[in-house]
Amino acid sequence: MSFAHEQHGEHGTHADHGPRALPPSLAAPVVLLAWRRRALLVAVVFALLTLFFAFTGEGRDHILRAYLMGYMTCFNFAGGALVMLMLQYVTGGKWGLLLRRPLEAMTRTLPLVALMFVPILLFMKHLYQWALYPTEETTNNAYLHHLITHEQALTANFKRPMLNPHAMIVESCIIFAVLFLFMFLLNKWSLDRDADPLRGTQASYERWRTRFENLSGPGILIYVVALTAGAIVWIQSLDVTWYSSIWGLQFLVAQGYAVLALGILSLVLLSRYEPMKTLLRTTEQHDLGKFAFAFVMLNIYLCFAEFLIIWSGNLPDEIPWYLNRIHGGWWTICTLDFVCHWLIPFCLLLSRDLKRNKRKMIWITCFMIFARLVDMFWLIEPNFAGSAGNLHIGGGMLAYITVPIALLALWSAFYITQLMRRPLVSTNDPHLEELLEPEHAY
Amino acid sequence: MTPREGIYGLLAEFNTPAELVRATEKAHQAGFRRMECYTPYPVEEAAVALRFHKTSVPLVCLLGGIMGMLTAFLMETWITVWSYPMNIAGRPLFSWPAFIIPAYEWTILFAGLSAAFGMLALNGLPQLYHPLFNAPNFRDGASTDKFFLCLEATDPRFSILDTRAFLEQFAPVSVVEVEL
Repeated sequence: MSFAHEQHGEHGTHADHGPRALPPSLAAPVVLLAWRRRALLVAVVFALLTLFFAFTGEGRDHILRAYLMGYMTCFNFAGGALVMLMLQYVTGGKWGLLLRRPLEAMTRTLPLVALMFVPILLFMKHLYQWALYPTEETTNNAYLHHLITHEQALTANFKRPMLNPHAMIVESCIIFAVLFLFMFLLNKWSLDRDADPLRGTQASYERWRTRFENLSGPGILIYVVALTAGAIVWIQSLDVTWYSSIWGLQFLVAQGYAVLALGILSLVLLSRYEPMKTLLRTTEQHDLGKFAFAFVMLNIYLCFAEFLIIWSGNLPDEIPWYLNRIHGGWWTICTLDFVCHWLIPFCLLLSRDLKRNKRKMIWITCFMIFARLVDMFWLIEPNFAGSAGNLHIGGGMLAYITVPIALLALWSAFYITQLMRRPLVSTNDPHLEELLEPEHAY
Repeated sequence: MTPREGIYGLLAEFNTPAELVRATEKAHQAGFRRMECYTPYPVEEAAVALRFHKTSVPLVCLLGGIMGMLTAFLMETWITVWSYPMNIAGRPLFSWPAFIIPAYEWTILFAGLSAAFGMLALNGLPQLYHPLFNAPNFRDGASTDKFFLCLEATDPRFSILDTRAFLEQFAPVSVVEVEL
């Protein structure tokens, strides 16, 4: 009953009035400065906590692996935002207009993400077996000294053209160059669009819509190829023997999952203040919630399909990857991943009331971002000899908490900085008018 | 069959959806629950004023989905473990990953069917007779340009004189008694 009254209140305030006025200032609220300060504080505290693990060799190894996990999570936000930005240009719709500026801010963190990648290049010997034994000779030697298995030696030699230190540097540079190009064009045109002398006319709308569509259509395709290469070289190749053809797509969907969660979180938090207070209607929040729900479903669909196919085949060169992630205590993490990543968000997002509730959406989106971290941990740590099929919560393992949090906090601070650079909504878009209309409390 | 007595309800006719929504809202506040709005096109605010969204269809759909999932999963378990055990690639008889996809499909099938049939069961369709068509102004206006609110006689608060007075305060085009 109380809900009905709430809903009525919503309806009562808007129903009898005409369109609301656009807030006089579309700039990001000043409170973002305080949020950024908090994010930086968290980054510093967790970076200092990480130092405790740096005293042992095992701890240093774990810091590096956790760093890779933190880097990949940040990359998922920046790259995922880029593809989501292009997706909203090709599909259109009011949801896209609201998310556009937060997504643009996320893409503009790509320089930071590229910078974050440098330590991985410097220490790649400690992460990737193929980087430790970069030539056929060293690989065969390592096999003769029983440092690696026959299988690993054979596949490492076979995959050498893609997996060697030089190729990795070149591949990573190409990936970032492609992403930078799209980031630059999308962000520049977005400002040009608002500054168009003909803004507000049908001709201007049509012109910019076509322009963005023509860039974004091919852009999505190119991005998917770049991401697939990146996901294979950076994460999948940690286990040189294993491959899965759905790997890139799985990362793509996981990026959508994380970016939508962060996008909704940003909008809901911003909607405590003007201008988002006026612009974010319950209708659009509900739509975004439904979209996130679709990604929750698609994500488990792909992950389970991959598992089912490999489980059915039960082949010796594929199934060990899963066995390493199920046996020896990993079953708990695997179950936790399933429960956090799918079961809980799925059950909660089924509810219409929850998707329309601002406070609850904050919790659920934070939880979804946490679930992404659990998933990355489950993907990365069992690749390493000591941990494959043997989960041990030693001292170094806690680096998987501190390092990604430090990196994410740093990334968030940069994201907030970027968010403050532009008005929070693009004005030269016909959907803006619709956002100001009274909403149908359907 | 006992002869039916009395009236179905009082039908107020409005020219605009805003008037209809306002009257519906006030009627809800006044305690009326057995009432219905009739409009030529969907008026979402009217549905809100009626508190229409809190129906049992989602629950029926959820229960149907859970039933479908359990049915498929248990059926597969029964077939492979007890009814027709077969060694497939040396796997355990209870190889649950293989049961997930049929269980998933049955969840969707049962949820969809129970939503559709649950909706029909709960809204009383198919209905071959409805007393409202006895009102001539309803026959002419309900599907063209008029907006109707009907307060039904089965509501405990309904009284033919007071309810008429209640409806007249919203300045409707007319308030007519609908015969059963």
